[in-house]
Amino acid sequence: MSIMIQVSELHFSSEDGIKVLEDVHLHVEQGEWVYLLGPASSGKSLLLGLLGAHIPPQRGQILVYGRNVVRLGPGKMLELRRRIGFLPQGFLPMARTVQENLQFKLRMMGNYREQAEEKTMLALEATGLIRQQGVDAQELSSLDRIRLGLALAICDDPLLLLVDEPFEGLDGEEKEEVSALIERLHTGHLTIVTATRGPLPAAVHPHRVITLLDGSVREP
Amino acid sequence: MSTFFYLFRELLGAVRTKSALSFGLTGGLFFLFLASVGAFFVIGPSTESPAEDSASRPVEELRAYLSPRLSSASVDKLFLELREREDVAAIEYHFAQEVDPTMTGGVLFIRPVSPAASADLSTHLRSMNGMTDVVEIRTTEIEAASVLPTSARIGLLLALLVTLGLSFFFARRGYRALLHSFASEIRLMRLSGISDRVIVPLLAGLGVLIGCLAGVFLLVVLYLLHYFVVAQATPPAAMEGLRSAGRVLGVSLGTLFLGVVLGGLIGLFGANVLASREFDPLP
Repeated sequence: MSIMIQVSELHFSSEDGIKVLEDVHLHVEQGEWVYLLGPASSGKSLLLGLLGAHIPPQRGQILVYGRNVVRLGPGKMLELRRRIGFLPQGFLPMARTVQENLQFKLRMMGNYREQAEEKTMLALEATGLIRQQGVDAQELSSLDRIRLGLALAICDDPLLLLVDEPFEGLDGEEKEEVSALIERLHTGHLTIVTATRGPLPAAVHPHRVITLLDGSVREP
Repeated sequence: MSTFFYLFRELLGAVRTKSALSFGLTGGLFFLFLASVGAFFVIGPSTESPAEDSASRPVEELRAYLSPRLSSASVDKLFLELREREDVAAIEYHFAQEVDPTMTGGVLFIRPVSPAASADLSTHLRSMNGMTDVVEIRTTEIEAASVLPTSARIGLLLALLVTLGLSFFFARRGYRALLHSFASEIRLMRLSGISDRVIVPLLAGLGVLIGCLAGVFLLVVLYLLHYFVVAQATPPAAMEGLRSAGRVLGVSLGTLFLGVVLGGLIGLFGANVLASREFDPLP
């Protein structure tokens, strides 16, 4: 297996000097599914932002898909982002139908109309949103919004899927549904890192669970 | 359809009442700005007037051709006599070959104190012994076109400044409102690795479209006025310039180009709104 993520000696401090991440080391193989657990404000979203090449690192090394994020120029950084599917915390869809949300993303990524329609259908099928495709995305339930967020993140065949707090605002049964959905999406080459406050739903069977506590990564 | 045009169509689809109103005002102000620019060139007499019209232009200079048989003393006497006249502002002697290589003798370039004084002066010159010809040099086309009164010029300059300033103000309001209703799309674009170099040209494109529409509208208005003036036997003096088809075409194309350029600049100015935290892809 090849390495998808390699983080070493990663440090990050907030603007007011508070150390959020301290000497973080992380190693994720391609095709792995990792849960990143940690209390609120422990730096999970920050770590995902750093892995997704959205936040420039201050100190340390981050290799994603063989690219050193620290040394990437703006152009290469954007190129890397295009290979990463990201579902941010508190995701809000666009004021369009479910189908139009997906088509917008695919068309802006340079897909032709037919190609975008095909990929839209695949993403809708994969996330169980076929019946809601004509519904205004802002009228979706919390669970379906997460489904749509995941559909948007995976529709253009990313190599890495970063999911931030997918269980927020969901009840126990819905959390299990989301967890089962992520498990279904975890096929073959796709590497998934899911950050959550926990506890994990009972039906979760990830490859690894990592805890982020006091700015450091711990594995049981 | 290319990605740019797809995204541009989507951006236009995000225009709501508030942004439409601001962009409408921007377009209207742009039109007034371009019309003020155009007014500098079209208000005034025509440059392509018929022959009888050119004869009515003010006389700028008189050229008195001297007989080659005149002695230098006679030329000096004529020169001094004319220089003393009250209706002569300036006088210069040139060899006739400087004007026309086939000619001989001398020529006096005489500038009257005012165009009104030229008629008497011309008659006097023609009656003088030793003169072979007197030619009246009338104002050039450029000078003829710029007979706009100073107060009108100041008014137009003020209109230029006010309309330009206000159009930038309303354009920024329009862009702010538009980008607010397009914020989710921009966040997703940034989240997915789409560069601002893709987003900014969309906004500049919208400015170009506004500038282009204002320019085209002015072009239509100028041509309507042109046909109106041409159809009139005695059009108002200020609209004489609109009789010239060449001038109307030049001003129309010039203001259209200016509209497109300024529209693009307004778009780039509006793109500053993208720096707001509202468009950050991560919370």
